[in-house]
Amino acid sequence: MQPKTLTPKQLFIGFSKIGLSGFGGVLPWARRKIVEQEKWLTSEEFNAMLGISQIVPGPNIVNLSICVGSRFAGVKGAFAAALGLMLGPSAIVILLGLLYEQYHSLTAVQGMLRGISAVGIGLIAGTGFKMMRNEFSFPPMLLVIAVTVIAAGYFHLSLGLVVLIASPLAVYLAWKKAQKI
Amino acid sequence: MNILFSLFIKLSAFSALAFGGINALLPALYELSVVQEHWLDTQTFANFFAIAQAAPGPNLMTVTLIGWHVYGLLGAIVASIAICWPSSIMIYYLQGYIGRLSDPIKKQTIQFAASALAVGLVLGSAWNISQQINENEKAFALTFISIAIVVFTRWHPLYLIAIGGALGILGFI
Repeated sequence: MQPKTLTPKQLFIGFSKIGLSGFGGVLPWARRKIVEQEKWLTSEEFNAMLGISQIVPGPNIVNLSICVGSRFAGVKGAFAAALGLMLGPSAIVILLGLLYEQYHSLTAVQGMLRGISAVGIGLIAGTGFKMMRNEFSFPPMLLVIAVTVIAAGYFHLSLGLVVLIASPLAVYLAWKKAQKI
Repeated sequence: MNILFSLFIKLSAFSALAFGGINALLPALYELSVVQEHWLDTQTFANFFAIAQAAPGPNLMTVTLIGWHVYGLLGAIVASIAICWPSSIMIYYLQGYIGRLSDPIKKQTIQFAASALAVGLVLGSAWNISQQINENEKAFALTFISIAIVVFTRWHPLYLIAIGGALGILGFI
């Protein structure tokens, strides 16, 4: 049996742990904590909330914290969860920022950060390619991806413009795809 | 005060457009903070991106660091709130709406459209931002190897970050 309600304090503590353990992406940790350890949600409920968090623009993990927090404790819960998620990691990056200001001129530090940022771009693109696998079930959808990638990556159009250009095609093809399945 | 206001307004506008999350936002963030407003240079932007990748927590910490660089602790707080509040309000109201949609076609249309947009924006973003912050062919090679490892293996991202950092310290990148 899972509890029907959680207090904002419990949500704050739970999401603080999720934020602080989330090296290299927070989502896997969120699932482990919420579904496996605390059993706040079943796997299906978690997937549904995650799906909605990824549909709506904005930082996905923050969206997820708003969904989970508001489900258990309304607006207060949403605030508590989002604040818990952000507070610890923000303090850590600011400390790292202070260290960076002291030591950024060292060759080793510059080299390390160059290496990490090259890998970081690879992590983002790799995740993008993994997400793309799902789109092969309806190949016309790849057109939306191509248009978006070229508009953003080649023509360097602004984010708003890219979304404006690509979304009519995306909605039209998504409607076709939904009817076909 | 002016710079804080501009930080808040511009980042708030991005929040509502960021299909695919913060990763899709990086080029827009670069354009705003480096090219338009000169809050920081390309090198610092790349380094903040690296720090946020290596630190625990949501990847929106790049935004927090930019805010901190611009206006100290207050800047960090304002930037973090700005990037979250519009999307948070949207999801607070939309989660109920999407959850209650009874027409499966409508529901799936929204879902399929958003996920295709997210894939395109994330890939376009990675391409765009790599042109800004990868300095040489060796950095691009490391990016491509990382992509291959992410796609074809189940390695934890932290290993890759550690290897990238080590290669950088040894002067390979």
